[in-house]
Order: sequence, then structure tokens, then C-alpha cells
Amino acid sequence: MRGFYVGRRMESVSTVPHSVTGSARASASVEVASGLALLWERAGKFLLLALQLGLAVVAIYQFEIESRAFLHLAILTFFGFAIHYVLPLPLRLPFFLALSLGGIALVLGAGTAAWLVALGLGLIGLASLPIRLPLRVGLLLLTAAVLAGLRVGWAPVPWPSAVWPILGSMFMFRLAVYLYDTQHEKTPAPWTQRLAYFFLLPNVCFPLFPVVDYKTFRRTYYDAERHHVYQVGMLWIARGIVHLVLYRFVYYYGTLPASEVASFGDLARYMLSTFLLYLRVSGQFHLIVGMLHLFGFNLPETHHFYYLASSFNDFWRRINIYWKDFMMKLFYYPAFFKLRRRGNTFALVASTLVVFAGTWLLHSYQWFWLRGSFPLTLQDGLFWSILGGLVVANSLREARHGRARALGGRRTLDVRAHAILALRTAGTFAFICVLWSLWNSESVGEWLSLWAQAARGTPELAAPSADWLPLLLLGAVAGGTLRRPAPAASGRGGPATADATFLRNAGRTLAWIVPLCVLGVPAVYTRLGATLAEVVHTLRSTRLSEGDAVQLQKGYYEDLVRVDRFNSQLWELYMKRPADWRIIHQTPAARLTGDLSYIELLPNVSTEFHGATFSTNRHGMRDRDYALAKPPGTARIAVLGSSHVAGEGVGDDETFEARLEQLLAAEGSGPRAEVLNFGIGATTPVESAVRLESKALAFEPDAVLYVAHAIDMAQTVNHLVLAVRNGLELPWEVPRETLREAGVSRDTPQVVAERLLAPRRAELTKWVYLRMAEASRARGALPVFVYLPRIAERVPQSDVDTIVGLAREAGFAVVDLQGLYDGLDHDDVRVGEWDNHPNAEGHALIARRLFEALRTRPELASLGLQPGARSASRVGEGRQPTEID
Amino acid sequence: VDQAEIRQAVKGYILEEFLPGEDPDELRDDTPLITGGILDSIATLKLVAFVEETYGIELQPHEADAEHLNTISDITGLVQSKL
Repeated sequence: MRGFYVGRRMESVSTVPHSVTGSARASASVEVASGLALLWERAGKFLLLALQLGLAVVAIYQFEIESRAFLHLAILTFFGFAIHYVLPLPLRLPFFLALSLGGIALVLGAGTAAWLVALGLGLIGLASLPIRLPLRVGLLLLTAAVLAGLRVGWAPVPWPSAVWPILGSMFMFRLAVYLYDTQHEKTPAPWTQRLAYFFLLPNVCFPLFPVVDYKTFRRTYYDAERHHVYQVGMLWIARGIVHLVLYRFVYYYGTLPASEVASFGDLARYMLSTFLLYLRVSGQFHLIVGMLHLFGFNLPETHHFYYLASSFNDFWRRINIYWKDFMMKLFYYPAFFKLRRRGNTFALVASTLVVFAGTWLLHSYQWFWLRGSFPLTLQDGLFWSILGGLVVANSLREARHGRARALGGRRTLDVRAHAILALRTAGTFAFICVLWSLWNSESVGEWLSLWAQAARGTPELAAPSADWLPLLLLGAVAGGTLRRPAPAASGRGGPATADATFLRNAGRTLAWIVPLCVLGVPAVYTRLGATLAEVVHTLRSTRLSEGDAVQLQKGYYEDLVRVDRFNSQLWELYMKRPADWRIIHQTPAARLTGDLSYIELLPNVSTEFHGATFSTNRHGMRDRDYALAKPPGTARIAVLGSSHVAGEGVGDDETFEARLEQLLAAEGSGPRAEVLNFGIGATTPVESAVRLESKALAFEPDAVLYVAHAIDMAQTVNHLVLAVRNGLELPWEVPRETLREAGVSRDTPQVVAERLLAPRRAELTKWVYLRMAEASRARGALPVFVYLPRIAERVPQSDVDTIVGLAREAGFAVVDLQGLYDGLDHDDVRVGEWDNHPNAEGHALIARRLFEALRTRPELASLGLQPGARSASRVGEGRQPTEID
Repeated sequence: VDQAEIRQAVKGYILEEFLPGEDPDELRDDTPLITGGILDSIATLKLVAFVEETYGIELQPHEADAEHLNTISDITGLVQSKL
């Protein structure tokens, strides 16, 4: 270790003389007094830092920043910092390493942590073998190839899948930097520092933080006065938390699914919000580097006002600075030095293009280790090519004409220069927004269709209001312009300057954290008016946005190949999901039919599915056996719907359908009741209608319970489009004509077709409901529409009101279970964080509510299941559905 | 070539090429050039070309970083070590 900063006053404390006389004694008294003052000052600074860190932990708790695992890590960091602070310098690095390893064990569990550390130590060992560099590189490449094979599942591995992304994050790039830098280092680092470099404390919660420069990691360790280093860390932690809360605001309130873009206003909102979602990455990175500062690593900023870039080069230099530095070190400079004999311009252009091509490929390489797939898409290639081309053009201009730089002391007001800078900043921002949206699109075709749809313009579908977005942007721009980071403390400004900087940064940290902590208290935000209270309440919890919730729902139906964006919270849920979490048609219990029914359950199968036994009867229903003909004196209820009805994630006797039958049987009075389960996961309302007519009605039900969700309209459209795209002929005139009129054909991309049909989704859904209700009534069954909310969903109330209204219009009796999960901890009633289907307790709750409805609702009295009913023989005779809820 | 001469030449080049109009007194020997945002990649390469041509030395790619070129003192030391 070298070059650690030691303040002058710290040195003076350790130089109290051993023998004193006269004036020397007086001098010693002054020294002692000075030492005590210093200790007092250090205690004050420590307490101020601890206060800030404690408040940051409170804010992380109140706003559920990131994950519960991160909260645990933040608490560990709090206590770790307190201990680390009082340790002598030589013990701090070993302590940090121990804390980092402890953090891994805390988050992943001891067994998984042991695997991760063992694999990591193996890689570090290979990289440090006392053999020639090419041999070490060869050995590591060979090991990487073996690991890559294991990553894609060529052979089973004894460690859990959670190891992969963290291992990848720690080693996939750092090993390369480590090999490069250790070739040229003058003095090798101690082992504790080398190990600490790879096993960085925050990495276990942030796999998207793979790159740290090894030389910088070494060079900046305590290279400034330590309180300054800690305080800058606190400021960045605060900044990270603010970024993450802002991100959540954009994620919940600003994002717009591509399928809902219907005007240029929508398009602008879509593009802007897509770019603003990057706040999550910058927020995480600020948090990570801030945490590392608390242990003496005076690392530089990872992002620097990147929304305020005034050129493409400027953007490249401000966003993800660690990545840029990594590419400069390993690609740009080596390429330039090799090529410069052919002329500087050629070398500049070629090495810049190498950097951007490398960035494209290495992003895919990164996703491979994190997610197990190697996505190479056209939009990725276009994004990096266009950005690379623009940076080349900017570089050539800068090489020829230079660019404005200042030493920081000079501040002049040049209105013209500021106006030009503002215009350039706005132009760069707008262009990057557009480019970013291309990068994040499902396909280039879909992205182009956004423009076509916006040009076509359907004002009635325009977003209700996106007024806040420009305001947000304006605020960010103003804030970014006004705020400047405190100057780096080199210790040369003297104690007074250092103290002033420390206090100023502490004040800025508290100015962010304290309001957040106060605002996060329910007793405070509930007094701020309904709208603001709702916003704060929403911001305080982690959940999926509407768009991602739809994607998660889609994931129950199909394998999603594009859940690979670094902003995607959905991907994080997928990471937690067990590897064998399949879709129903990927099990022996079901098959795809290839027709409009889409999926059917196979008869007499019993298999393991989502951690529970999933069995079917001879009729291909997830249920016990029933005769086709209804026994006399029996009230039969057919239940239709998708995965909730099928009971994905719970055992055969735990579905709400089975429990409802148990409750009705236990009740004892009235006719015998049979509840038949016709639910199949991964199906939509259209398929329920098909199944009702082709199968359920043959069982002579007295009532048909169709279990609907808020996404029924989207799913209806989704199914019809998918059917057409799969080449199926729609046998029904209404949807066939509707799709034709909207211009949807077999060749229309799914997302484009969904957008074209967005204005008519209610009409199509009503058609499905009408078909179900009429078919039921025609066979003497009472059609009952059960609105069942999904756990943790956040959908517009208007969607719920619309489908419930459509059901009433179609002639259903309505049982509305809105608010079913209110006041409950979602984790208590759902299968898992990655799967919002109800667990056994959730199903029991649904069954109880349905039982109550069947027993008490006047509109369901005709079923004869209510106290005092004479018999079941009259059920289904001459019923007229009512509209009471 | 003595150290002061190298320092003066490097400072003069940086002021003229990258900081025209700036007060020379503001640019100290320990002013951070790379970490302070004055030397970006293009400027770094220009500076490398300048010292290579001026002093007839050759720098390596791994030396184009903050460890070797962050301050006028660092640059002076690097140049002198290669003479």
C-alpha cells in the first residue's frame, strides 16, 4: 500500500514528546489539547457520517429501494462502516474483504456464497499463476469456455443458478483489467486488496456493475483525507437513492407500452421515458461507488450529468464512465498506438470504431454471463453503429478544432455561448432519446411502426397528460446546471477548506435524505392530499409497471426472449425464478392444439408443476372425476378461466375451485354441489369461450363462472392476433371483420396489430362475453362473471370498470372481488415474487369469498345453494341474470 | 534536458492547445488533467504525440492514463524516465 493520505493534524497527535521541560511541557500541553480537539472533531464527523448513513438506510427501508436483500446489505454496511472507522489503517482492507464475503453469505446464503467464493478464488488463482501472460490468458479462456458450456446447461452444475450473474459480474471484465494492469504494475498489491477488488461488497446485490479499473482501484485507496472520502460517498449514496426514486416515478407514471403509442405526443413520452429509465442504472452505480467510498475507495464518479451532454462525445464521456475507461484502456489506446503509423486520422477513426463494435459485442457477452443468452439484434447493432459513427464525426471535429475547456476558476456570463450550449444540449438529448428508443424496441419494424402510428394520429387515444415530463426534464436540467460537485479534496487547501467542503457535502446529503425520510412516513404523506399521498404511497413500493406486469403475464403464456434489457425489473424477477419454472404446455399435462382452443389438458396425467402436484381427470380437467351426465339433485357449477382457475402453483386439492366445492359440501344444507374446473393456464377469454362451448356445457352446468382479470381486453386482442398470425381462419364474423377493418393480417407484427386494434379492444371483448353469456343461457346455465384481481397488479381502474360493464351488458351476473388482497402482505398470498399467482392461502381466500357470494347474493339465489333453497331441481329454469354487485 | 525545461514546455503546450485564454497561474504542476476533465482521450493522444516528437521518446498504450499523465509533474517524470 502506498501514498495513503495522512492529514497534518493526525500526524501531530502521534508526536507527543516523552520527556519535557519548561517550555517543552507547555508545548506538550498544547499538543494534548490539540489532540483532544482533534479527537472531538473526528467524533463529530463520525457521528455526522453515521447519522447520514443511518438516515439513508431508513430511506432505503421506507422506499423499498431495490430489494429486501439490499436493505440487509445496507444495514450490514452501516455497522461495517462504524467498525471500519475505528480500525487502524492496516486492518481496514482485511476487514472490508471479510465484510464483503459476509455480505455475499448474508444475501445468498452460506452454501451458495461458498460456491461463489470458491469459483472466484479459482479464477483469481489462475490469473495470478507465476507463468507467462499468454499461458495465463490461454488457461483462463479455456476455463471460460468450460464455464460458458455449463452456463448454457450442457452439463449439470452443483451450484445454484444465482451464482452465475454474481460470478459473471465480478469476473467477466475485471479479470481482463486485472491481467492488463498487473503486467505493468511496479509493486504488486497485497492479496487482501486483490481479493477485495473482485469480491466488492455491493456486487452481490448489483450484478450490473461489472467494471472497475484495477489501477484506479489501487491508486485511489485513501488518496485523500478520509472524512472527505467518506462524505463524498454519502453524497453519492444520497444521489443514488434520489435517482432510484425518480426512476420509480418514471417507471410507474411515465412509461407507455409501445402498443399504446397513438400520437406524436405519445411517441415523445415513450421515447423520453425509455431514456429516463436509465436513471436506475446511474442510481445503482452511485449507490455502489458511494458504499465503496465508505471503506476508503475514493473512486471517481460513474456518471456525470449525462442528461446534460452537449455532444455525442460528451455523452459518451459522461454516461457509464467506467465502461468508457475500460474500453479506452483495453481497446482504444492499444488500437490507436498500433495504427498511428498509418496516420492519426485513420487511427482515430479505426480505434473509435473498434471501441463501439467491441461495446456491442461485449454487451452481449455481459448478458450471456448474467442471463445465459447471447442476444445479437439488429437494433443493438444499429444503436452502437449510429452512436459510434456520431462519436467518430465529433472526434474528428474535436481533433481539428479542439473543444472548449476551462480550469474551473473562471466563470463568465456569456449569454450567446450559454444559449448555444443549451441548444446543443437539448438537441443531443432529443437525438439520444430517439436513438435509445430504437435500441430498446422489440424490433426495427416495430420501432418504425411507432412513427407510422403516431403520424396516423388517433387523438382520442392520446395519453391523458404528459405535462409533468417536460417539467421533470426542466427540473433535472436546471438542477444539473446549478449543481456542481464539490472540488476534489487533495488536502492542500488546508484544514479549514477541507472542513468546509466536508460540511457542505454533509449538508447537501442531508438536504436530499431528510425530506425523503420525512416524506416516507405514512402519517406525513397521508396529510398531503389524496393525489400526492397516492403518488408517495406508490413510490414507496417496488412492483411492476403496467407494461411489465403485462409482460410478466405474457411470460405465463410464452417464453419471452426479450426480457434482457438492463432496465427491466422483470428480468430480475426471472432471475429469482426456479430454473424449471415452465409453462403448462411444456409439461406432460398439456399440449398445444394448433387450433383456436390453443391448449388442452391431457387426460389422466399427474405431474409436478410449479412445485405442486398437478393432476387431470379422464376428461382432461384439473379436477377429481365427474360423470358427464349431471346426477339428479345436484347443482353443477362450471368454472372457466386461465391459470388462476387451473391453480398453477398449488396442489390438486388446494385450488379455489376444489376448496369451494369442499365448503359447499361442508355446509350440508341444500342440494349437493359439484364445482367443475375447466381452467387452463396460458389461455385467454377467447379460449375460455371456445372451451365453454366445446366442452363445459356438455356437463350440464347450472351456472358458468367465468373468472376474468383486468387484462381481459388486452388478452382478447392478443389471442385473435396470434391466431391470425399463426394462419388460423377465424370462424367468427365479428372478430374477423374487425381485424380486417383494422388492417391486421397474417404478416402484421404482433405489437403493431395490437396497436391497430387498441381502439376496438372493448368491442372485441364484449363480443367474447356475449358469446359466453348467450351460450350459457341457451343451455340453461346462469352466466356469472367473477372479476378476480391479480396480486400486486396495478391497472387503471377504468380497465376494471370497462370489463365489468361489458360483462353486465353481455348479461352476466357479476361477482366483483376488487379489494380481495387489500391489507395483505402479497408475499403471504402469492406463489413467489416471480409469480403472482395465489398460493394455497390465496386460493382459500378466493374460495371463501365465492362461497359467500353463492350463499348470499340475491342474483345467485336461483342456483338453490342459499339457506332455505328447496332443491336443486329448479336451478337453471327461467332465470334472468341480474346486475347487482 | 532538465526537469524545469520539460515542465515549462509541457505546461506551455497544454495552455496553448487545450486551455487558450486561461490564466497560466491557474494551471499548477499538480492540477489534475485527466481526472479533472482537461485531457480527454483525443487531447491525451495529442499530448502523447507532442512529448514523443519533442523529446524523441516512445510511450506505450498503458502509459496513456491518469497514473502517468494526470499532472504536469507526472508527465515531466514520465518524460524524464525515458530520456
